Amino acid sequence: MTVAAGRVIDLHLHLLDRQVVDPDGRMVCKVDDLELELDERGRPYVTAILLGPRALGPRLGGRLGRWVAAIGERLAERDRPVSRIDFSLVTDIGSAIAVSRPRGRLDVIPLEDWVEEHVIARIPGSRHESE
Amino acid sequence: MRASDLLGREVLDRDGIRLGVVTDLRCVLDGPLRGGLCAPRVEALLVSRHRTGSLLGYDRNEQQGPWLLRVLVRLLHRRLTVVPWTVVETSQAGPLARPLALRVAAADLPAAEGRHTPG
Repeated sequence: MTVAAGRVIDLHLHLLDRQVVDPDGRMVCKVDDLELELDERGRPYVTAILLGPRALGPRLGGRLGRWVAAIGERLAERDRPVSRIDFSLVTDIGSAIAVSRPRGRLDVIPLEDWVEEHVIARIPGSRHESE
Repeated sequence: MRASDLLGREVLDRDGIRLGVVTDLRCVLDGPLRGGLCAPRVEALLVSRHRTGSLLGYDRNEQQGPWLLRVLVRLLHRRLTVVPWTVVETSQAGPLARPLALRVAAADLPAAEGRHTPG
């Protein structure tokens, strides 16, 4: 489903938990929550995709949610806000959410990026054949 | 504010009668232009007495199957109400535990003709 201006979508059904992909088709993250702001008439609109355990935990609620959020807090850098992708980077809402910036330049999953660069990349055969 | 601050919240009408819980946020892509797309703007709350099965979408789209699951989910959500954002008491937007209050009585809400999601 490609969304044009004026079309109607349901946030939970069409956005939350969808896969986010970069222009090269690489998986970036899942949509864990959405940031809303109020416009001048008091109507909320989406400003960003929120991701990571600190976004997912409060949404899950209950003991599991607190547990997920606490682990995310523990792994996050001190004072680093919840990872977000500004909605201005979203180019398409379909079965996946497409963004215009490559995964490596989004800086949304620092732990995963660090592991990829320092651990995974050193494993023989871990790179794509074309690289 | 986050989407999860609204999803799952109880909704009471002007007289304090419980309508149900917010199962989804119906949006129109006519918010401020951000990049290549207009931002989705919340037009209405989808309110049902149950949360179970709502995420499958069978309570909204005529085209989806399998039919048995669709019938069961629609049975659970037969009282799906579309609540325009304009009737929501916005000063109530706060912690999840507090129910959302409406400025109108349940009987004054429009019929759920918006039940079926385009797309």
